[in-house]
Amino acid sequence: MDIFELAIYILPPYVVALFAFGVAYRVSRYIFMFRRVPVRRRQRPASKLLAGLVKTFLDPLIIDARMRKSDFIGGLILLHILGVIPLIFLLGQHVAMFSYWFPPYSVLRPLSIPSSATSPALTLTAPLKPASEMSWTFVESVWGPLTVILNGDLLAVLAMLGVSYKIGDKLWRAYRRVGHVRLGDFAALLLLLAILVTGFLATHHLPSGDIVTYRFVLGTHILLAEVLVAVLPFTKFWHFVFGYWYGKLHEWYDLKYRRGAL
Amino acid sequence: MSGWEAFSPDTLRSEAKAIAGRLNPVLLHFVEDCVGCALCEVNCPYTPAGEEYGPVEKAEPLRRIVRGQVFLAAKVLPWLFGARLPRSAEELDRWAELAYRCTNCGLCYITCPFGIHSGTMIQHLRYSLARTGRIPTLLKMMMDLEASGNVLSVEGFSKVWSELLGKLEGLGVSFDRKGAKYVYLPSLAEALITPGALVGTAKILNKLGLDWTMPSKPLSVRAPIANLAGDSGAALEVTRRIVDYVAGIGASTVVLSDGGYPYRFLRFDAPALLGKPLGFEVVHIVELLHEALRKGSLKLREVDQKITWHSPCQLGRMGGLIEEPAEVLSSTSKNFVKLESHGLLSKCCGGGNAIACVVPPTIEMFEGLLGGKIPISEKEKVFLDKLYKDMLIASKAKVDEIRKSGASTVITACVGCVHTLQLASKAHGLGVEIKTLPEYIAELLPE
Repeated sequence: MDIFELAIYILPPYVVALFAFGVAYRVSRYIFMFRRVPVRRRQRPASKLLAGLVKTFLDPLIIDARMRKSDFIGGLILLHILGVIPLIFLLGQHVAMFSYWFPPYSVLRPLSIPSSATSPALTLTAPLKPASEMSWTFVESVWGPLTVILNGDLLAVLAMLGVSYKIGDKLWRAYRRVGHVRLGDFAALLLLLAILVTGFLATHHLPSGDIVTYRFVLGTHILLAEVLVAVLPFTKFWHFVFGYWYGKLHEWYDLKYRRGAL
Repeated sequence: MSGWEAFSPDTLRSEAKAIAGRLNPVLLHFVEDCVGCALCEVNCPYTPAGEEYGPVEKAEPLRRIVRGQVFLAAKVLPWLFGARLPRSAEELDRWAELAYRCTNCGLCYITCPFGIHSGTMIQHLRYSLARTGRIPTLLKMMMDLEASGNVLSVEGFSKVWSELLGKLEGLGVSFDRKGAKYVYLPSLAEALITPGALVGTAKILNKLGLDWTMPSKPLSVRAPIANLAGDSGAALEVTRRIVDYVAGIGASTVVLSDGGYPYRFLRFDAPALLGKPLGFEVVHIVELLHEALRKGSLKLREVDQKITWHSPCQLGRMGGLIEEPAEVLSSTSKNFVKLESHGLLSKCCGGGNAIACVVPPTIEMFEGLLGGKIPISEKEKVFLDKLYKDMLIASKAKVDEIRKSGASTVITACVGCVHTLQLASKAHGLGVEIKTLPEYIAELLPE
């Protein structure tokens, strides 16, 4: 058994179990600590509260764009919006993989992003179709001219630039002995960078085209991604699943719904 | 050895346990969901005084304390998982420096992409530091005075209050009158720093024709001053005192003229601390004015003066009254101008959360009232001198904004803001008149 087989056929249920345990552990703490607060809320019109909800999510983005442009471009646009979010959920190879593990995911197949701007082929070896009922070899992209941007190659490079920006920012802060920078910050960012690099290499059958190397690089890519999923509830990646949504919704509830700060 | 020199690892460890016991879902989110993006720095009034005063950095000590108590990996390897407690008095001093560079203004709360309010964490940190002895002496003195239940036991304070009572009696105010529907709750701090707010509020309440009374003695230094040191136990005692007083009168509404943290505390935080509703409503005088103007039951005289409104963070952003004061003021002058940052992201004056209350000029003022020197160690003096310097840097953005507005008078509604703006105005040569909203409005009441 090689790393590829381990990552695809053996580990997934364990990864899901660890992830589920972590989610249950972290969310349960919030549930068990919850106490109802007897405060009379300030009455505000529902329409203003709804607009306030949208603004609660938009405000940090606007502030970032106005006051910290480098972070807005490197951290938000490159890393998040153009980088990992479409790559993780819509890259054709990922849609195929997730659909294999979780068939309803194939509903996103029409939105799949090809890995190349010039070819809809899922792999370099296409059109050799794998012997499976679920197999597909091309991304019938609905993105039209947007494929110039929405393609795995470009998005992966942008995401790598975004992660590198974040690593650089942390290093610069660490150099200035800023106290909140911790080893875990670097571990998380380096893990993400390794996943992006191995994914990019696997897509292009690099560093060599032989099957053993390919299976090793792709296997490493999937294995590292599984590590990320398994540790996600215990690391800062948790913000993506819970922290961001809980935090902003709570802020809206506290400041706008309860106190009426609109 | 004074509290500012002491260092006890045992006290720190026991405080760490105590903080873990006070965790709730919201505080847990604040502690564990920060990704360290440091965007909060851009709007914090103290970042211009040093990058190290950004909210993420100031909240880090509290995170270290909690991590070491809550997370297994951090318990085992504290140095690796950011859970190491201070190992020397100097490190603890550094924590105190960070904790007293926060006005708890809430700007970081809105700026943070994850809705993390660093100010809340810093209040918890302040409490732990106070238990180790790191608390400004003047703040501690006022907390002790408030806890004693008799804030007029100091002759200087008693004299100021008596003079004010004389003026209020002249307005026909009745004190401690049972059966009144409204209780006006001024604090000792207002009597000392913004006495015009008390007289102005009394005139407004009379003009509105409300059935009201007020305590013959202030129930607090500034309800509750212990809140500024994060001492929820002492704050609870004062809250109970206020609740009992209002229940004794039988009033349905408490009116405040101080739009600083007492408004936020009594309106939103006190019921949570008490674990039940207070049994009465809490309103700021501007809410009564806004309502009366809206209904047309009150008409104010208009002036040409160019005025502006400095929104106290605890009344506006954290208290929900952002547009109401501006609407009241715009009805009094065609030359009312909003400050550039007016709204949810209104700039902080830089002196809230007890900062302006403990800096050297305030100490001098209190020494005059107390009739003697306040015993402050050399180490604390250095701490306070630097704090004052940083406070003036923090207030600069607000001063610049006021200057840009071209207003000759700044209206606000918070004792701390008035005091800070007076100090900052003097230091930065702003040259504007600073008034509380009640005293400004009282001048415009119809005959």
